Amino acid sequence: MNLPTFILKNALRNRRRALLTVLSVGISCALLVTLLTLQRELTVPPESAGASLRIIARNKVSLAQPLPAKQLAVIERIPGIVAVSPFTFFGGNFRDETVTSFAQFAVDPRRFQGLLVEARVIEGSYEDFAKDRLACLVGADTFERYGLKIGDRMKFTGTFYPVDLDLKIAAVFNGTVDDRGLFFHHKLLDELSGDPGTVGTWYIRAASPEVANDVIARVNAAFENTAAEVRAETERAFQLGFVSMLGNVKMLVLLISGAVVFTLSLVTISTMSMAIRERFRELAVLKALGFQRRELFAFILAESFGLAALGALLGVGGAWALWTHLDLQKLTNGFLIYFEVTPRIMAWGAAVAAIMGVVAALPPSWQTARMSVTEGLKTLD
Amino acid sequence: MALPLKYNIRNVLVRWRTTLFTVLGIGAVVLVFLGLRALGRGIEATNANTGDPRNLLVVRKGSQAESGSLVSRDQFRTLRDLPGIARNAAGEPLVSAELVMIVSAPRRDGVGEANTLLRGVTPRGMELRSQVALVEGRWFHAGQREVVVSSRLARRFAGFEVGGTIKAGPDRLTVVGHFDGQGSAFDSEAWMDADESRAIFDREQYSSVLLRPADDSLADGLIQRIDQDKRLALRAEREVDYYSKQTMTAKPINYLAGILGTAMSVGAVFAAMNTMYASVGARTREIGTLRVLGYSRRSIVLCFLIEGALLSLLGGVLGCAIAWGLQVGLAAFNVSFGTLDFQSFAETVFQFRVTPDLMLLGLGFSVVIGLAGSLLPALRAARLPVIVALKSL
Repeated sequence: MNLPTFILKNALRNRRRALLTVLSVGISCALLVTLLTLQRELTVPPESAGASLRIIARNKVSLAQPLPAKQLAVIERIPGIVAVSPFTFFGGNFRDETVTSFAQFAVDPRRFQGLLVEARVIEGSYEDFAKDRLACLVGADTFERYGLKIGDRMKFTGTFYPVDLDLKIAAVFNGTVDDRGLFFHHKLLDELSGDPGTVGTWYIRAASPEVANDVIARVNAAFENTAAEVRAETERAFQLGFVSMLGNVKMLVLLISGAVVFTLSLVTISTMSMAIRERFRELAVLKALGFQRRELFAFILAESFGLAALGALLGVGGAWALWTHLDLQKLTNGFLIYFEVTPRIMAWGAAVAAIMGVVAALPPSWQTARMSVTEGLKTLD
Repeated sequence: MALPLKYNIRNVLVRWRTTLFTVLGIGAVVLVFLGLRALGRGIEATNANTGDPRNLLVVRKGSQAESGSLVSRDQFRTLRDLPGIARNAAGEPLVSAELVMIVSAPRRDGVGEANTLLRGVTPRGMELRSQVALVEGRWFHAGQREVVVSSRLARRFAGFEVGGTIKAGPDRLTVVGHFDGQGSAFDSEAWMDADESRAIFDREQYSSVLLRPADDSLADGLIQRIDQDKRLALRAEREVDYYSKQTMTAKPINYLAGILGTAMSVGAVFAAMNTMYASVGARTREIGTLRVLGYSRRSIVLCFLIEGALLSLLGGVLGCAIAWGLQVGLAAFNVSFGTLDFQSFAETVFQFRVTPDLMLLGLGFSVVIGLAGSLLPALRAARLPVIVALKSL
């Protein structure tokens, strides 16, 4: 019998315990991976090709405060801008829903065409949308989720605006990072709400990523000390602003991850010391035969590490397989969209399990190293 | 005949080394579950603790929060002149038309900005909210760009200290005082003069109207009357009911508690199983002896189930104790949590709240883990053939 088989035989001597250990390590790893993915989902908005070019300008007071529509004439003249459209969040509820998970925005269709560059119209035509004041452009995800057809009507009850919408689907798009949104004519919103002369935000496209920062500075400067000061920022910075609003959530998820790792290490350490304690006598025999402390440590380490590694493989792999193949967007009603388990997160899960495997081997090894052979041989348990 | 409970207690204590890890593990599971539920409970408790049962809040039909509601001046006049509205000592009707604005402010720790809720409030509105009391500085003067913020909010945002400045676009508001809302939703608000706020934000309309019926028996009639008036298109509701419904933000946290609690407890069940199997293994001869003495298989199963439950109950108690200690510690250092309220679209400040019913739930949870983890080992112990068990070392 050579060394690897000796270690393997030892690890599998109590199959039930080995299985339970692997399973508990696996579950902890899967949880850790899930939590890290959740944190990433909440704090790192997805990047898209056009996002570094796109700028969102909102009222400096807050996103909830509108901007005067007449600002358009000033923005249009700012050099470095290739497209600008009003972009107003409607926030209506679809049909009888109490919480609608996709957003509706009022835009100027002609101007908006130059902004959503990565979108492809897959059904209907953009022209139909732009022509008809009552028409809307729907994201493919929403279109499929509700089983809609071109020409169908979509009714929304306003929650922020005291008006209701009755829109006709003219076109469907996909190809953006979030194919759920719906766009309709700003003119319609103006008409329904009595022409207040305001927009929610301005959606701007810079000519190149290099001039984007200059454009932001110029837009901000253009309205400084006016009644409606503007805060322009890249689309990405705007999204990260929402993350800041979430407050202590990031810390919370990290704390829970800490608790999971703590539990994981407890379980592994407890199992390993159980496994070693019941073979104290054998280890004493090995010692008496002339095996050195270093070698005994290697036996224990290999067993503990092996079990942890198996658990990690199961847990990390399982979590990856589960989250990759589950339609979370549907299950969570649009709360979680991508939930992508990145290689980095998987590496974290595996690394933590590996460290646990090593740490769990330390206390029993220490005990074994300290014991005298006679003492070990006398142990009965 | 059942084995005495003392036997189980002694067994758990004698094997304290193996037991300790399992107890700690189950304690951590209970702590995570309890901690998350305590946050959810904090949000719910804040909203449940807000408002005066005598008050009615009127918002636009279809709006889900005050910040998304509009009430015109005509509508306000109609409401004010409704019969059956209480009057104060000076004979003025207790009706307050208010403007709720969202103002973005920098966080104190320098990491980004978040929305805060700025309420333009009238003297009547302050009379109607007896929960709110000034704790530092003074109240704002009418017609001045002055604001009084909640002391809890002040700890989270830069410039909210007394003497500080809040920027609202080109306008500057001076913080002249701090108030305390006694753990209500008002603790997430900043207050200023209603007319001045409408001037600054250039708003013709109000957001909501708060009023008090002269007698509580008139409340339902008023609610119905406002609801049925087609011209008004407003919705009245008891203030306490309005706030107790604003719990959407607590939902994801409670879901997370459920999902994590379940997943972690599966892991803990495996750990408990490991410990209990080891316990059965080490006591094989003892079990044989008990059987010979006449204890039935059933009492052996019961014995190990009790032991498992006891073990995990220790963990549960530990988890509850830590959660309780956490609550006391957080309260001592005046730590509050905050997140974006999905309904008001502003930061909501809440406390970590471990209530007795949550603790009971945590303890029950731990016992279930213990029972699930010890069932198979207990059955195995009961099935041991007596002779073999006696012969084992």
